[in-house]
Amino acid sequence: MTTVEIDSEAFWPDDAQEVDEGVVATWFVREGASVTEGDTLCEIQIEKVSIDVPAPATGTLEAISVGENDEFRRGDSLGRLETE
Amino acid sequence: MVGHNTLQQMYKEMVTARYYEERLQEEYLEGKQPAFDISAGPIPGELHLAAGHEASGAGVCAHLRDSDTVTAPHRPHHVAISKGVDLERMTAEIFGRETGLSKGKGGHMHLYDPEVNFACSGIIAQGCPPAVGAALTAKKRNTDDVAVAFLGEGAISQGAFLESLNLAAVQELPVVFVIEDNDWAISMPKERVTDVEDGSRRAWGFDMHGERVDADDAVTVYEAAEDAIGRARDGNGPSVLEVQVHRRMGHFMGDPESYRPDEDVERAQRRDCITRMETRLREHGFEEADLEGIREGAHERVDEAIEWAKDQPEPEPEATYEDVFTNSPDDWPERPSREVTATDGGEE
Amino acid sequence: MAQAETPSASEIDRELTMSRAMVEAIAHEMREDEEVFVMGEDVADYGGIFDSTQGLLEEFGHDRIMDVPISETAFMGAGVGAAMQGMRPVCELMFADFFGVCMDQLYNNMAKTTYMSGGSVSVPMTLMTAVGGTYNDAAQHSQTLYGTFAHLPGMKVVVPSNAYDAKGLMHTAIRDNDPVVYMFHKRLMGLAWMPAPEGPKTGVPEERYEIPFGEADVKREGEDATIVTLGLHVHRALEAAEGLAEDGIDAEVIDLRTLVPLDTETVLESVRKTGRLIVVDEDYHSYGVSGELIARATEGALEDLEAVDRVTAPDTPIPYSRPLENEFQPSTDDIAAAVRSITQ
Repeated sequence: MTTVEIDSEAFWPDDAQEVDEGVVATWFVREGASVTEGDTLCEIQIEKVSIDVPAPATGTLEAISVGENDEFRRGDSLGRLETE
Repeated sequence: MVGHNTLQQMYKEMVTARYYEERLQEEYLEGKQPAFDISAGPIPGELHLAAGHEASGAGVCAHLRDSDTVTAPHRPHHVAISKGVDLERMTAEIFGRETGLSKGKGGHMHLYDPEVNFACSGIIAQGCPPAVGAALTAKKRNTDDVAVAFLGEGAISQGAFLESLNLAAVQELPVVFVIEDNDWAISMPKERVTDVEDGSRRAWGFDMHGERVDADDAVTVYEAAEDAIGRARDGNGPSVLEVQVHRRMGHFMGDPESYRPDEDVERAQRRDCITRMETRLREHGFEEADLEGIREGAHERVDEAIEWAKDQPEPEPEATYEDVFTNSPDDWPERPSREVTATDGGEE
Repeated sequence: MAQAETPSASEIDRELTMSRAMVEAIAHEMREDEEVFVMGEDVADYGGIFDSTQGLLEEFGHDRIMDVPISETAFMGAGVGAAMQGMRPVCELMFADFFGVCMDQLYNNMAKTTYMSGGSVSVPMTLMTAVGGTYNDAAQHSQTLYGTFAHLPGMKVVVPSNAYDAKGLMHTAIRDNDPVVYMFHKRLMGLAWMPAPEGPKTGVPEERYEIPFGEADVKREGEDATIVTLGLHVHRALEAAEGLAEDGIDAEVIDLRTLVPLDTETVLESVRKTGRLIVVDEDYHSYGVSGELIARATEGALEDLEAVDRVTAPDTPIPYSRPLENEFQPSTDDIAAAVRSITQ
């Protein structure tokens, strides 16, 4: 088992480099559900732009760290995957 | 020829409108960051800013008096300011306050100020027929008032616009249709919604005068509008005037504009009608200090209006049921009828 | 109700917002049938102002995801004409409030052609349109107009309240040989800039499934009163029912899902059980959904009816200012108060 953090930094849009806060709009996967690498995990909003966050690996969504409508700082982990 | 005072007045209106919208933008975004929630903050709902359109409102309205009618679309602030709409009450309306133009019922897309014959419709091109109606009224009452309908270039493919042109032409009505061409109908560039590059040519099919002002320049707009409004006022029928403007913002606040090339945004930012107007003023002998003075005065007025508006009370919920007749006839209100204000034509 | 083999929303791990569920259904139908296409304002590069066509351009291109000029009479009428030729257009009216600029094409052509042709011409068109308020967009951009469309004969009228239903109803709508008006509530779409309440985001199966028209969904069973509603107010009614339960009042909540055809039987069955009917509608008070439902209940279950009431928007245009729109909108508290008043 390996833990993979869902790193918000990895999805930061090029034209929002001066911004360092975002909001999680929607989670599409429940905690405990299994996901395949590339599945859309959640939608985040940075500077009016909506971004789909794909699963960085295949595994189980162990925990959601930033809930819907909650804010996060650039680089915060949005949640945690456990891979086989 | 545009006179010294007119130049100064137009510049004042333009910088008032620009600063007004900058301030509205700040207020609008309050409570909407980092999450942009359209219903949050002191100004909820949609907000369509007109930054980059100011030359059109100022150049056209310079020829209008209070008794002339203007209808504006969903992007109305610059036109309202140039038409002389009460700035305090307009601001209170946008903040949804009781002392707003419409007691908080209308909002920014639905501004009405009968004192200066100004009205809006938030539906594309739907301000055109009422402008024709105002022109018809002027003709029936034998005044020399005129009507001006403002619309965007996206609206010229709408039936209400084309039908209005025909009715105005066949009835020879004193109305001018001003198309503000900002190149974008939300996400659709002009070339994808019409094969006619010059929207004023729509007029030709109705045997009506049509003219396009290519430069985003208030003085050129002023000169073209002098011609069109003069024609209407002298009983020589309607015209179409298309003015090239620039959309410096998204369609509405919150529009991510991901459909719009960066170069286009930069181009719109570069071609600033206010900078151009300042060049004009300098050519006419205005000093930097004069311009600074005008700007300062405008900013002060805007700041005061916003401060005043934010201080106004919100409407009582019960007001929801006022200003409308419903199926409970017990308390149907008396409607004021509009007094006929005869103008002798010489009034300015 | 979904087909037997389709898992229910709660059995699915993958959750979707309502807009994504709609898009998934449209994309699926477009892959299976070349004759399905989308036409509307800002549906291509923008992806729909309310995300109803988000991402479709990338897969299907501008030929099938067509941005059109602001000429609703022309493009809605063109949708009707293409449908009369047998194509299956999905035409978007950006806001239901804009129906005025194309209504002749909708109610005189789209809705009546089948009948006027003696059944010889079908119009398999889907008109999808955004409805509803709660975000202070004022009188010309906030209406639901459910009753207006449901009143005029010839159109099926669909109002999903959640992602699972939205997908299944969209599949049914596109395959239907009659014109379908598919009214989606903006507040339910799951837009980042207009957060949805709890409820509309659900598990959604990846496979194709249909939800038949004319089958209301009993969202909550109860014995004391029947709350019949649709769209956004399904969620408000459920919230009100939770609060009422704490006070020992057991309310049943029915989501109509389609207005035409209307599942009168499910409503009557419930009313026969509870004896009390509350209709909750975001549309105007008079001559609309609430009056129709109460009329049907009195026609079909008069002897079982002990009390009726309705919680609706008033007969006024929709005001802009926040306290005014809050007054205008039927709230969770309004619903709870109405149920209390007829169960005491």
